[in-house]
Amino acid sequence: MHEKLTESIEKKITISPDEKELLKRFFIPKKIRKRQYLLNAGDVSLYITFVEKGLLRSFSADDEGHEHVVQFACEGWWISDMNSFLSGDPAIYNIEAIEDSELLMLSKSGMDELLDRMPKMERYFRLLMQNHIVALQRRIIASLSYSAEEKYMKLMDVSPDIISRVPQQHIASYLGITPETLSRIRRQVATRRQTS
Amino acid sequence: MGTVRTIAIIGATEEGAAAIVRSLAKNNVRLLLIANDHQKASALKDRLENDGAKAELLVMECAREASWEADMIVIATPYDVYGEIAGRIRPVATGKVVISIPGRAASCPGTSAAEELQKLLPYSKIVKTFNTEVISPLTGGNQPELLIAGNSGDAVDAVADLVRSTGLRPVVVGDLTLSRELEAMPLKVLNLAIKRKSGWPGHH
Repeated sequence: MHEKLTESIEKKITISPDEKELLKRFFIPKKIRKRQYLLNAGDVSLYITFVEKGLLRSFSADDEGHEHVVQFACEGWWISDMNSFLSGDPAIYNIEAIEDSELLMLSKSGMDELLDRMPKMERYFRLLMQNHIVALQRRIIASLSYSAEEKYMKLMDVSPDIISRVPQQHIASYLGITPETLSRIRRQVATRRQTS
Repeated sequence: MGTVRTIAIIGATEEGAAAIVRSLAKNNVRLLLIANDHQKASALKDRLENDGAKAELLVMECAREASWEADMIVIATPYDVYGEIAGRIRPVATGKVVISIPGRAASCPGTSAAEELQKLLPYSKIVKTFNTEVISPLTGGNQPELLIAGNSGDAVDAVADLVRSTGLRPVVVGDLTLSRELEAMPLKVLNLAIKRKSGWPGHH
């Protein structure tokens, strides 16, 4: 139930067996079914969520009802509406399960207590935040300067899992292109691979 | 639309669970009904749906699976099986609010079922409520009240919200040791009601 989380933490810091046990007390285990919402925009995000198994997406919806996918999170990833979690303001993102998922949720008070009891987790979260900022900057650059095909190729390169598990309309939304454009790109990529 | 909460009710067909299940089914929640008698639970689900339940109702066989999905867990089974249930749900109930419903158990003198449950589920937030919803005629109020006891402020607040959603007025009486009083309360209420000749105050 906590294997991926432990793995994620041990990639960044060393923890003893006792500390592994202590950690478990702070995370709320939660199963969620496909298409179920973990968070609705307008509610306060009370947790940051680690994905042990499954796949989720966060997205915003504009006034015309168009969805804009911000992030996918599969095994070993974190997902949240960070601004809402930290400030207590209403969330602007929805979080929905794309697959049946097993999650571990950490509340703000739980996080504070965890950091008090295990100060070394500060380093884990700092490194996590650094990686998150780098990923965000890359996403901004990609969105500003990459062509649709370059964005697709980059996603395929970095997260091939996402390409194979996520419905096409969500991938298109994440890349900021129409499903039709995505289909065309996929055909072109497939044709090039066959001829090369 | 708010995020829909999932509530698992273990022992959903027990006598003590009837009022809470009926009340919660009127709300926009997911209710996971768990009972030893699967047919009885399915019949309860059908009945609630026929009565126009707003909640999404699901009958589940496994208390552990249901508790894993749940944001909040309600235990309505007799105290005698608390140990067995706690053993099954302990790993998936960490950090969750667990509501203890049963009245006083003869088998735990000097303490309460809710306090014993807290010992069995040390990393969950036990709250005692829902067996004492009949006091308002005695206190003179118009709105039925429900007494709540618990050690975690967040958990008590969450349960108070839940109680409000059922149309009752939550009254927080204090920490979990007060559950000893609450578990004995229905009997006291009955005695008082008889004394005042006000009859048994019913549900609304």
